[in-house]
Amino acid sequence: MGIDFVDIAQAIIDGLLFGSTYALIGLGFTLIFGAMHKLNLAYAASAIAGAYVGLAMITLTGLPSVLAFFLGPIASGVIGFAVYVTCFRYIPTTNMLAPLMASIGALFFIDEIVIHATAGSPLSFPAVMEDIYLEFGDFGFRGDLIFVLAISLIAMAVLMYILFRTRLGLATRAVSQQPIAAELCGIAGHRTNAITFVVTGALGGLAGCMAAAAVGVISPLLTVPITVKGLIVTVIGGLGSIPGAIIAGFAVGGFENLFLLLFGVNQRDIYVFLLLFVFLVFRPGGVFDTAIERD
Amino acid sequence: MLEVRDLVTVYGAIEALKGVTLSAKQGEITCILGPNGAGKTTLMYSIAGILKPRSGSVSVNGREITGSSAPYALACGIALVPENRLVFPSMSVEENLRAGAFRRLRGDRSAVLEDIDKAYVRFPSLKRRRDQAAGTLSGGEQQMLAVARAMMSRPNILMMDEPSLGLAPLVVSEVFSIISQLNKEGVSILLVEQNAHKALQIASHVYLLDQGRVAFSGTPGDIGEDDIIQRAYLGSKAA
Repeated sequence: MGIDFVDIAQAIIDGLLFGSTYALIGLGFTLIFGAMHKLNLAYAASAIAGAYVGLAMITLTGLPSVLAFFLGPIASGVIGFAVYVTCFRYIPTTNMLAPLMASIGALFFIDEIVIHATAGSPLSFPAVMEDIYLEFGDFGFRGDLIFVLAISLIAMAVLMYILFRTRLGLATRAVSQQPIAAELCGIAGHRTNAITFVVTGALGGLAGCMAAAAVGVISPLLTVPITVKGLIVTVIGGLGSIPGAIIAGFAVGGFENLFLLLFGVNQRDIYVFLLLFVFLVFRPGGVFDTAIERD
Repeated sequence: MLEVRDLVTVYGAIEALKGVTLSAKQGEITCILGPNGAGKTTLMYSIAGILKPRSGSVSVNGREITGSSAPYALACGIALVPENRLVFPSMSVEENLRAGAFRRLRGDRSAVLEDIDKAYVRFPSLKRRRDQAAGTLSGGEQQMLAVARAMMSRPNILMMDEPSLGLAPLVVSEVFSIISQLNKEGVSILLVEQNAHKALQIASHVYLLDQGRVAFSGTPGDIGEDDIIQRAYLGSKAA
């Protein structure tokens, strides 16, 4: 039996649902880039580490597994703050390469801690709403993926509210658009950036938990692929563009799953990279081509 | 009153300020003239807390603020309208004004809203564009916005770094009339300008900064009588 339309549509649906994880990771990269015009390559590592801490806490205390989705983000927020202090706060930001290399160092450091703590073996991660399956005609929606989508949409809504409706969001946007003027308005840049790292860290922790729950296992091997996918999402969405990261996250998820169906797991990522190159050549500014401008 | 004493600020090995002493008196318009590269913007940034001076002191009303952060300088009543205006380009005009009142947003929000309304009375063109992204405004409107934003912190001393830079002559006149108006309302002004002739018309005291040093200090009348300064820094009298 060949691949018919229903298979393709179903693959895209599953991919779009899982893509919400990529959207959150891409958002984290893009927010930090928007704030400091720097890439934090340790971001996905802290996301996975946070998910591990969340898992460890529910396993050790016997709390309901849904709580991993609260504890993981808190842990990632703390790790995000540590990454800011070690890789960005005191390292001269005029040198583009120094914070980038420091964050690569942090990536491997965090990853190594996780590998040593777990002896490198994958652990099973509890899925939520696993036994639910919604059917609409020929199509089905996996309950655990619907949960992942719902959580990420809530997270995005909260993030938008913070960014555009609160005093903290005003400070974040001010520092990102014009750091000197922000200081002159009485907005402390370092403090605002630290808070940005904590908030995006928490977002990453949520994404880490979601990815682990959707896959069913958590492993340090997830770090590098999620870093790469997150960066692809960030570039396709346009560095610094928030709506771009969201759209690109869902799109990459959908395409990835479609490529998986059409070409198999071995070739899937080749086509995802091809998608990246198509964007780099024909639309290097990303889907909306309006990265945050700087004077 | 703002007092600057023996201020030295360096960029790497370059001494941009080599011991600057000057003061801006309460209620007056003090003007700093000087050629490009004289250190005018460095001086503004050193007073406002953006740059950390190597030595010397800055005090406002007897309170030492040397080397403090920009938010602290602002809290002491010193606001700076920076060179090139530096509005927040992707934020609306109204958000720019709210950012200017950032410290006050936590407490008296209603007072902030009142001040925004006052800014709209002073700058009607900003009211018409209140929801427009600041980056899409004309140069003159951005300058008005930068002034209005700085005033949102209710400063005692308003420093302005080349507010007429790159503006059409008609708009320059408008900017200078706003400076005079703010001064009449009790705000002390420290003005950096390249447009010497306009600046001398409204200033009560003038400093000339050259290569990181104060080369002249006096009233606009004094500068008018000094032939060397006229020729060296301001062009010939006829100009």
